[in-house]
Formats: sequence, C-alpha cells, structure tokens
Amino acid sequence: MVGMKIAGIIFSPIIGVITGLLLTGAARKMVARVEWRYGPPILQPVIDLIKLFFQRPPSHGKTFDYGLIASLAGSIVLVLFLPVGRLCPLSEGGGLLLITYLILIGPLGMALSGGEGANPYVSIGISRKLILSLGYEVTLLLILLSVMSEYDTISIFNVVRAQSENGWSLFSWPLVIPGLAYLLILPAILGVKPFDVASAPQEISSGPHVEYGGKYLALSKLEGGLSEFIGIALFVNLFLGGWSIPGSLHLPAGVLGVFLGVLVFLAKVAFVFSLNVTVSASFPRLRVEQAVKYLWSWPAFIGLVGLIIVSAL
Amino acid sequence: MLEAILVVAFGGALVSYFLGRWTSRIRDYFALGVWIAILGMTSYLHQIEPKISTFYPGFLGYDLSLRITSLSWLFAVTVAAVSVLVIIYSFRYIKGHEKRNLFYFLLLLVNGGMMGITLSGDLLSFYIFWEIASWSTFLLISFNRGKALPAGLRYVVMSVIGSAAMLVATLSLYSSYGTLALSDLSTHLATAGGGYVIFIFLLFFVSFGVKNAIVPFHTWLPPAHSEAPAPFSAVLSGLLVKMGTYGLILIFYLIAGMKIFLGLGTGIWSFHYIISALAGVTIVVPSFIAVLQDDAKKTLAWSTVGQAGYIVLGVSFGTGLALAAGIFHFLNHAMFKSLLFMSIGTVERKTSTRDLNELGGLVKRTPVLFVVTLVGAAGLIGIPLTNGFFSKWMLYKTLILEGNPFLAFAALVGTWGTVLYSYRLIHNVFFGQLPEKYRDVTRTSFSTYLPMVILSIAIVFFGVFPGFLLGEINVVTTSLGFTPLDVQLWGISSDSGTVNTLNILAALAVVGVMVWYLFRSSAETTEVSQEDSYTAGAPVPQGRFTYTADFYRPLEKIIRPYLKDRIEDFYGMLVGFVGVLSDTVRRIYTGYVGTYVAYILALLAAVLLVQLGWKPW
Amino acid sequence: MDRRQLIKWLKEPLKMSNKYSLHVVYFCTGCGIIEIPPSITARWDAERFGVKPVATPRQANLFLITGYVSLKTLKPIIRTYEQMPAPKYTVAFGSCPIDGGMYWDSYNTINHLDKYIPIDGYIAGCMPRPEAVFAGITHLWTLIDEGKADGYKKYRRNYSQYRSNQERLYGELGWPPRFETEGLENE
Repeated sequence: MVGMKIAGIIFSPIIGVITGLLLTGAARKMVARVEWRYGPPILQPVIDLIKLFFQRPPSHGKTFDYGLIASLAGSIVLVLFLPVGRLCPLSEGGGLLLITYLILIGPLGMALSGGEGANPYVSIGISRKLILSLGYEVTLLLILLSVMSEYDTISIFNVVRAQSENGWSLFSWPLVIPGLAYLLILPAILGVKPFDVASAPQEISSGPHVEYGGKYLALSKLEGGLSEFIGIALFVNLFLGGWSIPGSLHLPAGVLGVFLGVLVFLAKVAFVFSLNVTVSASFPRLRVEQAVKYLWSWPAFIGLVGLIIVSAL
Repeated sequence: MLEAILVVAFGGALVSYFLGRWTSRIRDYFALGVWIAILGMTSYLHQIEPKISTFYPGFLGYDLSLRITSLSWLFAVTVAAVSVLVIIYSFRYIKGHEKRNLFYFLLLLVNGGMMGITLSGDLLSFYIFWEIASWSTFLLISFNRGKALPAGLRYVVMSVIGSAAMLVATLSLYSSYGTLALSDLSTHLATAGGGYVIFIFLLFFVSFGVKNAIVPFHTWLPPAHSEAPAPFSAVLSGLLVKMGTYGLILIFYLIAGMKIFLGLGTGIWSFHYIISALAGVTIVVPSFIAVLQDDAKKTLAWSTVGQAGYIVLGVSFGTGLALAAGIFHFLNHAMFKSLLFMSIGTVERKTSTRDLNELGGLVKRTPVLFVVTLVGAAGLIGIPLTNGFFSKWMLYKTLILEGNPFLAFAALVGTWGTVLYSYRLIHNVFFGQLPEKYRDVTRTSFSTYLPMVILSIAIVFFGVFPGFLLGEINVVTTSLGFTPLDVQLWGISSDSGTVNTLNILAALAVVGVMVWYLFRSSAETTEVSQEDSYTAGAPVPQGRFTYTADFYRPLEKIIRPYLKDRIEDFYGMLVGFVGVLSDTVRRIYTGYVGTYVAYILALLAAVLLVQLGWKPW
Repeated sequence: MDRRQLIKWLKEPLKMSNKYSLHVVYFCTGCGIIEIPPSITARWDAERFGVKPVATPRQANLFLITGYVSLKTLKPIIRTYEQMPAPKYTVAFGSCPIDGGMYWDSYNTINHLDKYIPIDGYIAGCMPRPEAVFAGITHLWTLIDEGKADGYKKYRRNYSQYRSNQERLYGELGWPPRFETEGLENE
C-alpha cells in the first residue's frame, strides 16, 4: 500500500505533465485535420519546449519568476490530489473542497507573474480570465455540490469508488443533469476556442503570456497542458467513473490492474478531450460578456435544476 | 485579576491622554506598554477555571460582575493581541496628525471597552462597556472630519437603534427573572416559552446584527470603514464588528443554550436556519459589491461585510464544526483584515490616494509591503496553507454533509467574489508600470512594517498548523455543549474526509523546489526594465501605462443592475419620509409671535369649548 | 523519424529544436504579407514544418520582414528584433528589403535592411510565392545546421556599428543601448 502511494506520488504528476503535453499536440493535429491541413507532428509541443528551455528570455523581476514557478507547482500538486486511474496518492485528504481551492493557485500565480510584466495586455487577459472563471465556476460549484450531496461525501476518491460499484454518474438518474451541465461548460474550463478570450492572440496578443519568452513560456505551456488535463480528469473522475470499465468487467488487482486502470482513465480523458477539440475547431471566439451570459444561462440553469433535484431526492 | 485588566485598560487610556500633553514619544510607548501588560495578563488567564468576580456591588441595587470563560478568554486575547499591533502601527501613521492625544485616548478606550465586553459577567455591565466602545467608535470614525462626519453619523444612528434593542431585551429579562447574571439567566431561559425566547432573540439579533453588519443592517459599515483612520479601520473591521459575533454566541449558546436555539421551529422555518440564510445573503451580495468599488478601503469594507457573513453563518448553523469554523474564521479575519487595512493605510499615506484607478506599480518601490499584502489577500481568499482556507473548509464541509448545499453554494460563490476583488486590489496597487508621480515613494519605517510582518507570519503559521488555534476553539465548543472534534496539529481528522495541511505543505515545497530547479538550470535570463515591454514596436508611453480603470468592466456591465443596494435605498426612503414628517412638524413653529398667539388662543378656545361641552348643566 | 535524425537530436537538441520549432513573428511592412495567409492556412500549411505564427516577439525565434521597409517602420522593426529572446533568426522577404526594390530611389525607404539589423536569409522575388517561402525556410534549416545563421551573435558583436547606423537615421532612438558598446570592439 505504501509502495503504491509512493508510486502514485512519483508517477501521477509525470503522467499529468506528459498527457497534458501530448493532448496539446494532439489538439493541434486534430484542428489541422478539421481544417484540411496536414498538421504538425504530435510531438511538436515537446520540440517547442526543448527549444524554449534553451532560449535566453527577458525577466521583469522576482514576482515575474516566482509567480510562474508557484503557478506550475500548484498545478502539479493539484494532480497529486486527483485520482489518476487508481493512482491516488493524496486524494483522501481534503477532497473536492481542497481541489476547488488548489485550482486557484495556477491562474493566480500566473496572474501575479504577469502583473509584474507591466503590460496592459496582461492585465486585460487576466481580467478576462477571472471573469470567465467566475462564469463557469458558478455552474461548476453547483455541479460539485450536486455530486457531493448525492454521494454524501466530500472525498473525490469515494465518489470514484462508488461509481466503480454502482455505475457511472453520467448514466445514473439524478446526476445525469449536472453531468450535462458539466459537458456544456467544459470548453470554458479548458479555455478552448469559443472561450479562449483570456489568451486571444489576435486581440490582446495572447494575454497573460505577452511578456513570456523562453523558459517562462515553456513553464506556462506546461501549466496550460496540466490545467487542461486537470479539467478533464475532474470530469472523468466525477462522471465517467475514473478507472472503472462499464458492465460486469472488473480490472484485475495488483500492479497490472493499476496499470490498466491508468490506461482506461487516459483513454477516457483522450475521448472527452477530442470532443472539446472538435467544438473548438468549429466555433469562432465569443466576447467575454457573451461567454459569461452563455455560461450563466443554460448551463447554470441546468446545474441549478440538477442540484434542486438531487437535494430533493 | 479581571478587574486589574480593566483598570489598566481604562486608566491607561486616561494617563496616556495626559502624558501626551507633555510628550508624545513617552505617550506612544506608554500606550504600547499598557496593552502589552494587558496581553500578558490575559494570556496568563489561559485555561483558568471559569470564575465570576463582582466589581461594583450595589450599582442601582444590582451587582455588576466580571467573568471569564474559555469563550471570553479567546475573544479577549485576540482583542489584546490585535490592539498591541495596531498601537505599534499607529506610531508612524498618526504622526503629523492633529489631535494625536485624542486619537490615542479614544483608541485605548475602544480597546478597553472591547475587553470589558468580552469579560463582563452580566448583561448590564455588557451594555455599559458596549456603549463605551460604541461612542468612542463614533468619535474615531469621524476623526478625520469632512466626509467622515456623515459616515460617523450614519453609524451612530444605527448603533443607537441596536443599543436600544439590547436595552429593551435586557430590561425585559430583568423584569421577568430579576437577574442579569449570565450564569443565572441560562437556567431561567430554559423554562421560558418559545414566543418569549424568540422575542428576546430578535431584539438581541437586531443589536448584534447592526454591530456585525448582517445584511439588512449593514449600510453603516462601508462608509465608516473607509473614512476612519487606517489603524482604527483595522480595529473596527478585525475586532469591533466581531463583538457582534461574540454577543451572538453569548446569547445563542451560552445564555439560551444549544437546545433552545436549535429547537425554535423546524426545517427551513427554524430560527437558526433563517439567520443562516440571511448570513448566506450577507456573503454573496457584499462580496460582489466589493468587486465594483473603486476605493481600496471601501473594497475592504464591503469585504468585511462578506466575511462577517461567513462568521455568522458558522455561528448560526448550529453544528459543532460550524461553530468552530465561525470562531476560527473570526480569529483569521482579525489577522488578515487588520493586515490589509494596515497595508492599504500605508499606501494611502505614501501616495495620498486610495483610488484604485490612480495607483499602480508600487511593487518596484515597496516590495515588503507587496509581500505582506499578498499574504493577507491569500488568507482572505483562502489559498491552501493560509489560515483562511481551513476555516472555510470546515464551514463548507459541515454545510454539505448536513445537507445544505444551497448555503454551501452561497459561501463558495462568495469566495469567487473574494478572488476577484482581492486580485484587483493587489493588481491595481502594486502592478503595472510605475507612474511618474510615484517614482520617489520611499520605504516605510520599521514600526509600520513590524505589525504587518507579524500578522503575515501568523497567517501562514496558523494556516500550516491550524491545530494550535483549533485546540483552543475545541475547548470553547465543548464547553458550549458540542461533541469535541478530533483536532490534530495539522487539522482535523474524521471519517468523512480529512485535510492534512502538512501533506499540502510537503507536496508544495518539494514540487516547488523541483520546478525552481528546472527554472534555474535552464538558460539564464536578462533583466529588463519596465519600459521594455511589448507594444507592437511602438515606444512605451512614459508616465502611465497600466490597465487599472474599470478592471472588470465586462462583468460590471452584467452584474451592476442586480447589485443595487435596495436596502440602502429603503433606508434612504425612510430617512426622506422622516425628513418630510419633521419638516411638516417644523412648519408649526413659524418664528412669528402672532402665530403662536393664534395657537394659544385657538387652544384656549378649544379648551373652553370642551369645558363648555362637558358641562351640560 | 529515422535513426540518423535521432542521433542528431541527441547530439544537438538545441539546433534541432530550433530548426523544427520556428515561431514566427510576421512584420507586415508591405505587400509581401499577402503571401503569408496562404502559406499558413490549408493550401500550403506551414505548421507541418513546425512554423507557427505567434503574437509577440517574446515568444518568437524567427522574424519575417515582408516587403519594403519605410523609415517610419524601421524603428518598430529594430525594437521588435531586440525584444526577441536570443537564438533568433531573421528572414527578409521580397526584393525591397534587399536593395530597395522598386522603391530604390525613394526618400523614405531603406535600401539595405542589413545595415540596421542582421539578416540571416533573403527570399527574393516580387513577390515570392509560398513555395519560395518554404524553400527559404528549408534553406534556413541548413544554415542553422551548419551554424551559419548567427545573425544574433553578429548583432551582439557589432552592436556599436549597428547602433551608430540606426542613430544616423534617427538621431535619438528613444531607448538605451541593449549591450555595452564599449569594450566589445576590442575583443
């Protein structure tokens, strides 16, 4: 058990970072295919990272450095509290409430770092980012509360375990409503195309990343990939049963089971991500107030209905 | 010992006033010495057996008494500790101000009054100390004159209504039971009818609600907090407002007892649930009003209203975990809100403005101030490893597990409002290009930094080891009849989900060092100035190149229509109505003698007529 | 990826990653910019070579100057070039940046861009088609491979000369020198 925990502590951030990178690469390839292009190799983000770590970027001061470091560190720590397949080293402690707060460290660290960059584009990007976060967070909180009330626990690990026994939440009666709401806000959580207001390259020169070059850009790309991974992993854990396979199939116990569990989990992550990339490739960007209005209309309404039904049942 | 604390507090206030006429330096150190002594004496009373001592036998035929319990000790020691820090902070802040003696006198008087409130053993002495604190608060709020006068007046009107409600309740209790001692009242109220208890509760709730700024009674707070001098804003927000919380705990749990308090009504229509719902409204709406403020201190003031919502929600929800969370959040709020008011006060002193659209770029000039403000804002948001996280976590947990997801939703959404205004505060004051006029802002003195640094260290320390405070709080909640929590040094362990701050700390430290090493070992950077930033090749405009005004404009367009303060409008209408009424009454007095003579004649005629009418014979 | 390339990757990761991850900041100074949209969109798809337009010079390592450079636009060009992080390459596009092109006798146009910033390669033509752009990029790859695309080093080495050329045009540039101009000439 202790060995498993240590393995989890070592491997789950690595899996998170690598999956995040590969997802970014796959997204570029998929968008290219949708646009009838050939597209870059899937490993293109890795090539970009290697290049960026060798460049000699400008720095704007101490907060510029340490804010970014805190941002990436916070995102990596968050992965430790999420069950990645059956690797869930720390997810018993704190649960979903801790996750809702740890999610803040990533964007706020980047916001601090960008703030010292003293560029108005950074400030506009961060302002948009926070407004958009508020937009989807209202619905996300309704969804999380529905899940927590339904399973009567605040631990995400217990939610996943309950699903492996009783079937996925997305296909069980009251939780299908918050599940749908989550699917509607998922592009906003990931910050992909209709909702990429925060880092719009054409309007505000990629927002918070304006002053990032070299390793700063590399770290923020790692953080971006991780936060995409986290957003989907949360959905997979809460609604698609984490590592569990539908039907009467059960994963074997032991190391093989853990390995297969991670693979199943990553397959679900890849599937949900490809859905979002398809959405991303086919929609134009919304303005931020349009995005917030959308997020506060249907998704929030569905989430609210879900919470009312869950708490009434 | 209890009397000694009060004698030192009030005597110190008087002596420091007269010392100040002689020399100001000795007065400063004397005031500090007084409160360090009080802090020492209060700490000495730690975990003492609850005891009562009469300090004024036979006042109007009634004995005034003091009393210490674990609850009052916790509040008293917080008052003393924050007072010491605020006094250190005021050394520099109040320098060069007129009427410094009066300021010190009133500040010490308020703090002494708060000590009296926490230590009083019966409702009459509670009322007396309450009034001392309230009236000196009024003088301190309107200390700066100008805009501060109407703010103080607004405070005093609402405060008088609250005090009147408390007086009515106190007299009613006295006429019913013939005693006002807290320990006796609890036995009497247990046998009282439900209607009478609700009557008493409502009166006290109005009184403490005004002080605590719960939503229908909150309108005095934002102008008062923003117009008061910064050291006193810290006291006001961190301590004085939370005396309302102390009163609520006192009346709900100590006098009435948990059974009576939680037994009034059932389900949604129970008394404590309605107060919890009010507290939920108090969290959400003010937190978003704070986002729209342009005045740094007004933002913090609205934030105080919102955070008071968390505390009242914890107190009124009625589980042991919630009460512990409420008290814990009170302690945390005293730390981070005092810190934030001090730092914004320093900014105001340095730049002589607190308009968020004007400021910017100060991180280059005052890095220490930036770091402490950042820690305070992190505590306010509740980033893990700061103290605010843990109290909020406890509150959410109990709300969800007791089946109240909507209250939990209100609390969590309020947190997002907190994120938005905290970041705006940090960004607009410290980030962006340094404007030309702030190029020569200097660092502040040691005595200004010291309390802020102490508070920020405390915020992080109690965030990593919440067990130190939770142990004390556990004693309090246990003495109020709740089942004790399983408190560890790193948090709380229970079967329904624990949180281990040491895990988070270790993970964050190890991962942080690894990321830092990756950062360090890759190619080195070149430091560039603020002017060298991306502008599509154009030269960077000199002097002012920041995005601060209307920071959340798109959001503002959406939410502003919904956040109109209708309660304020209602009060304004009421004031207008009273004005019209008084104006009508005033018209009777025309100032012309003939009119008065006519009045007298008319009255005489009426009397005569009545006399004639009543005498048929 | 065959074995030879893999060995190359392991031997010189910097060169290889620089080659295959060219993040471009386009500076649309003239008519040449009209050839850029087709080359990055579906018809020719520059992204398959790892060439990707980015928003700011901080994120870029390839500077593409498309078309004639007027006196007014040279200043932003210098500034943008100086803001890019160090291994950076410049490609001038079309005839005009080479010798002024059809504007060779204009009072307001720079005839030789490489007097003011170092240029690693030119793509000639008026205007070069997207195929020519790709030919230029593949040629840049060979230059990077052979270590000949070292304009940024040249700029660092001969900064005082470039700076004096720039100042001859404008008088005062409006920003302090990037590098110390003294001492370097003696090395």
